[in-house]
Amino acid sequence: MAESDLYNGPLDPRTVVGFHHVELSYGGTKALDDVSFRVTNGEFVCITGPSGAGKSSILRLITMDAFPTAGQVIVRGMISTRMNRGSIPRLRREIGFVFQDFRLLEDRDVYENVAFAQLVVGIPGAEIKRNVMRVLTQVGLWQKRRQMPRTLSGGEQQRVAIARGVVNSPKILLADEPTGNLDPAVAQEIVDLLFEINDGGTCVVFSTHDHDIVRSFGRRVLLLEHGRLVSDEERRLGDRRKSRLTDGMYRPREEIEREARARETAAARQLEGE
Amino acid sequence: MFKPTQTAYILKESLAGFHRRKLTTGVTILIMGSALLVLSLFSIVTINIGALLDHARTGIDVRVFLDDAMDDVAASELHRHLSALPGVRQVAYVSKEQALVEFRRELGEETELLDAMEENPLPASFHVVLTEKAVDADRQREIADDMRRWPGVADVAFSEEWARLLDHWRSVFTTATLIIGLVVFIAAVFVISNTVKLTVAASARAVEIMKQVGATNAFIRTPFLVEGLLEGLCGGLFAMAVLIAAHAVLRPSIAGLIFFTPAQIAGFVVFCLGLGLLGSWAALHKYLRL
Repeated sequence: MAESDLYNGPLDPRTVVGFHHVELSYGGTKALDDVSFRVTNGEFVCITGPSGAGKSSILRLITMDAFPTAGQVIVRGMISTRMNRGSIPRLRREIGFVFQDFRLLEDRDVYENVAFAQLVVGIPGAEIKRNVMRVLTQVGLWQKRRQMPRTLSGGEQQRVAIARGVVNSPKILLADEPTGNLDPAVAQEIVDLLFEINDGGTCVVFSTHDHDIVRSFGRRVLLLEHGRLVSDEERRLGDRRKSRLTDGMYRPREEIEREARARETAAARQLEGE
Repeated sequence: MFKPTQTAYILKESLAGFHRRKLTTGVTILIMGSALLVLSLFSIVTINIGALLDHARTGIDVRVFLDDAMDDVAASELHRHLSALPGVRQVAYVSKEQALVEFRRELGEETELLDAMEENPLPASFHVVLTEKAVDADRQREIADDMRRWPGVADVAFSEEWARLLDHWRSVFTTATLIIGLVVFIAAVFVISNTVKLTVAASARAVEIMKQVGATNAFIRTPFLVEGLLEGLCGGLFAMAVLIAAHAVLRPSIAGLIFFTPAQIAGFVVFCLGLGLLGSWAALHKYLRL
């Protein structure tokens, strides 16, 4: 690829993730081929496509766990072709990550699993307690904070993993097939939780090959096939929250928020009591 | 460099191998400690033999036997010449009479033999003591050759064989210590890297999470390095404890036994720390992908 193909212009400050003619090969096989797209502040993007289409590769490139063999990846102003590898940890502090298989630390309880993410980046102890309480309350697991991961259901384990993913207040939350190991009802709950996190201003990018989720997904969908981006459409299926209200399966947002506030207050009281 | 919460985490995790894999860690320390014990024993023996040799060498001397015909003027000239030779510390004149007295003393009771002689058969001689630097065999031969050329010198006797033997043993023990040192070095690094490898494997998921949330590589590596360091330290302290106890027991029965100086003990401990660090570094280098 010629030098002129690389993006050298000014960076749009609203761009959180930018892919510019990205190619990624593993020993001759192209995992991604000429992929270009841009994700802006606060967006909620779903990456879909069959297995092996390159969904995970895109997420790995965003965390700079892999580097493009051609083209450029730009994440939060860091450009893959011009960056110092030493600044990768700083970049990752702005990115939360959720895995398909949860990857909780089995020898630590729920609280410790979430606190771990704060501990290792050097957040002071008092602040850790406050932040862990906030996110565990948000995912509805503050009550189960002393339980070990294996005593929780799959959905609950994934909620813990999400809490861990957002506890460092990342600008971007990446989720690689977060619903892949869960049954459909639980999967929808997890997606709703991601919506809620996105409402807080965090940009969310998640991959899935679950057709039900994609069909009902009222936001931007990137479709990958054989490493190529074959469609990038902004879907307007109406405001999902309103439809939730009408079909009776979901409660009004104000109610959810009120409950969340109540849970937080209760948790805070309990924390003070400890 | 690290924040307080991070430091607390590192300290706790550094001890993870000690309380989660007590047997493995214990065996590692024992193996390493034993290897270090063998090494330090050999060092002690080498140090003691060295001291013994140095002591013995100060007694190495050369005897220059004189013709009976040599007069006093020639003798004192030879005395001056010998004293001026490089490598010579001291020259003493032993007259025929003194030689006979010495010989009598050495023979002890069997002096009738000498009494039967009409004439003193012993020659006068110079007793030449060499400096420590000149005690090696080659230098002795040079000195002896030089003396033989001198008129009036009947013969030169020197302890070449003895010196050769001393040199031989010293080099044997120095070589043995170096070889054992090398073996112990490799063994210690190997056992430590093996236990740290277990810790790395057991921490694979935690390492992955740390990478993902943006912990620095230095932070991720430090607990493993500290674990190796601590294992090295424990192995070294074990060896030193056994050695110090053995020394306390043996000292009364072995006169002049030389032990490590405090500086050498400190050096030994630093050496053990180095082994530990190198072992865990090797494990990280091979098994920790950051």
